[in-house]
Amino acid sequence: MSGDVSSASDASPPEPGAALDCADIVVGVPTYNNARTIAHVVRAIHTGLCKYFPQFSAVIVNSDGGSTDDTRDILMSSRVGGVPILMLSTPMFPVHRLSLPYHGIPGKGSAFRLIFQMAEKLRASACIVIDADLRSVTPEWVDLLLRPIIYAGYDLVTPHYHRHKYDGTITSSIVYPLTRALYGRRVRQPIGGDFGVSGRLISRYLQRGDWDDNVARYDVDLWMTTIAVAEGYRVCQSFLGENIHATRDPGADLSTMLQQVVGSVFSLMQEYENVWLARSGSESVDLFGFRRDAALDQIPINLPRMLQAFQRGCAELGEVWEMALTDDTLRKVRRLVADSHFHMNDDLWARVIYDFACAYKERPLERGHLLRSLAPLYLGRLASFMIETQDLYSAGVDEKIEQLCVTFEDLKPYLISRWTGRKPAEPQNRTKMGQELGVEVKS
Amino acid sequence: MIDALHGIIKGAVQTLSVTIQNWLPPLLAGVTILLVAYIVAVLVRLLLARIIRGVAFDRFLSQSGISSIIDGTGRLRATQLVAGTAYWIILGIGSLTALSAFNTLLTSRIVETVVFLFPKVVTAALILLAGFWLAQYLGRSTLVWAVNEGIVFSRRLAGAVRIVIVFVAVVVAADTLDFARSVFLAAFIILVGGAVLAASLALGFGARGWVQRQLEAESQRLHEEERSVWHHL
Repeated sequence: MSGDVSSASDASPPEPGAALDCADIVVGVPTYNNARTIAHVVRAIHTGLCKYFPQFSAVIVNSDGGSTDDTRDILMSSRVGGVPILMLSTPMFPVHRLSLPYHGIPGKGSAFRLIFQMAEKLRASACIVIDADLRSVTPEWVDLLLRPIIYAGYDLVTPHYHRHKYDGTITSSIVYPLTRALYGRRVRQPIGGDFGVSGRLISRYLQRGDWDDNVARYDVDLWMTTIAVAEGYRVCQSFLGENIHATRDPGADLSTMLQQVVGSVFSLMQEYENVWLARSGSESVDLFGFRRDAALDQIPINLPRMLQAFQRGCAELGEVWEMALTDDTLRKVRRLVADSHFHMNDDLWARVIYDFACAYKERPLERGHLLRSLAPLYLGRLASFMIETQDLYSAGVDEKIEQLCVTFEDLKPYLISRWTGRKPAEPQNRTKMGQELGVEVKS
Repeated sequence: MIDALHGIIKGAVQTLSVTIQNWLPPLLAGVTILLVAYIVAVLVRLLLARIIRGVAFDRFLSQSGISSIIDGTGRLRATQLVAGTAYWIILGIGSLTALSAFNTLLTSRIVETVVFLFPKVVTAALILLAGFWLAQYLGRSTLVWAVNEGIVFSRRLAGAVRIVIVFVAVVVAADTLDFARSVFLAAFIILVGGAVLAASLALGFGARGWVQRQLEAESQRLHEEERSVWHHL
């Protein structure tokens, strides 16, 4: 079967072939012009499967988005032979490789859908998806993403990366605190990119009819995590180490990114309104793997430019922000411009995000404007965070992020009152309560 | 002398009594109709305000931004809108009926004109409403885009977009009403022509340096090629 190339459309995945009618494990690798890294990724996956899961039959499913380079040729010809690998046991089954071009809607969502369809057809009990442009992937990733599903009965394994303190700030300042406060599960990387999914959860994903919507098309990772945590599936995290990609899209525009990512969170908020309105606080999610710190590449930051963007937003975007922010919040935001020590505190930031979430619900026609106008506010918050954490190491930064999350959780009654139009309940300031009781409050 | 004076006074009184006889009944009828129309309009407004619970319509007005166009505070409610519209329609019909009671050439013309113009006025009003809404929407799009791109005069740019769109809406509405068609058309052509000229000049001045550099580079390249061709000789 190795080397088979089939075609597939969105609606009907191809038959895997007579020789391959079932597999225990499916490894999905969505690709698009990843000729430089694909060989390394496939070798790592292959080695991981042989080393950690030799007793299981496995298939590597590549879903290619129409690469114009040699991605698919390299993928089909990449072999582990010649690479010195220490095999602890001999695999009982060969590892097959399928390469399927998808012709659906462009985007990661279509690739994931095809991979899941193949996994369901092959009756796989577990499926993992790994980005094809990763330089940091190791065979251990396969183990870390698969083992909790196969041996511990988890439905979704999300990644937990070791990242630079200023890497992934949309996640750490908006997506993580917000999803945690909403659904009560502390999933650190809801938009990770690499996942492990059980057969049961794959069936649930495939049952859904919103694969063609923007959320599933552009933010399939967030969509998957949210469905899992909102619908009560068993979720855990695996520490994968560094997450180094070969390429980052330099043309990716911040306001567009915010529109897509934050818009997806807000959109899912509407769908799971009944779930999150009933939940409060948060509980930790099991973390597998060995946490370690390593030196990471510096991320260049331009603080004056961020502050300038924030000030420009304050001066010009009043009429758009007025649609979302309450008078009090807007006044506090504007006051920051005159502050000699610029600091946008957690409380203000959480209120800004909650106000925007409510405005997103109330003003469907203005959603694009609202989300794009969030960019200067986000840059302001980011500048404040950077000023605050410039001398801190990762542990200190994690503590700051934790404080932000607690603030989001404490202010959830405010969100509920604005969202539903009901009177706010008494704020549950756990940090303050803890201080009063003389106890350290852990979240 | 006294007889003449008496005759004049008698004539005036007769004329006045004839005028009163001719005008008083229709005037009374007109006032009565107006009064009845007013009472009906008020009652209908009250009734509609109680009957309609336009929650969905309220949401539509608020979400579409129409409420903020009609009412600056953005707190316009569906009940207010429907009841207010019904009130003014009844009052308008009452006024026209009251005018018809006089049955003169002038009043007939007025009624005819109003009836003839009404659909056009409604169409023009809708065009203006759509124009204002579009101006707001595209103005905001421009503003957000310009701020995120770091353009200095973002609000002025957004304001210019709004003015152009509102102006186009006014021109179309005026055209629908056959009102000062040539004036608006001429103004529109002058505005668009001026904007295109300004843009061309801006582009020309801005690109002058670039074109100069390109030409110099090309000339240099040709010169180099020429030199390399003849160099070996």
